[in-house]
Amino acid sequence: MATSTYLSSPNVTVNSISLQDQCHGLTFTRTIEALESTAFGSGSRVYVAGLENSTLSLDLYLSFAASETYATLKNLVGTSTTVSWSASATSPGTATNPTMTLTGAYLEALPYEMALGSLGQISVVFTGGIYSVVEV
Amino acid sequence: MKYEIVSPRIGTPGDTYEPVDGVNVEALVAGGFIIQSPTKAPKGAKTKTDTNEE
Repeated sequence: MATSTYLSSPNVTVNSISLQDQCHGLTFTRTIEALESTAFGSGSRVYVAGLENSTLSLDLYLSFAASETYATLKNLVGTSTTVSWSASATSPGTATNPTMTLTGAYLEALPYEMALGSLGQISVVFTGGIYSVVEV
Repeated sequence: MKYEIVSPRIGTPGDTYEPVDGVNVEALVAGGFIIQSPTKAPKGAKTKTDTNEE
């Protein structure tokens, strides 16, 4: 049985900036909205595909240093950008290591907390955009 | 408009940055990841000056 184990090399780029060394978790949910089209005579609910509305959540360490997490994200709030990720940074874009991309994904908020003695972290959510996969 | 890579997170510093579709270039400039390449001033037309004092 083949499985995927994420040890050290998954890659993620936000606005073409690699945040591999700051990211420690990623959740992607591909969503195509369900529009109900149930009509008289149906014995169960029926749906058709609506608009795509996928989300990508990134868990990052929050560094305020130059060229790090905050510098990458601060100017993206309220705008759309391109986000890409792959299970391994080595030879991405292949059948066994596809590169997934959300083009035109919207970043609504940049929420973070600062607590004494804790490591700064931030979770950001990119919403919408066009989903594509490169797996040549 | 040409851009030059500053941060190794994007590529090799000093190389030309080619914007990709969907990438927010203004945010990259504002974040200090790339800079606008300095543009050379266009050369003026050459004019011949007659130095012959006849």
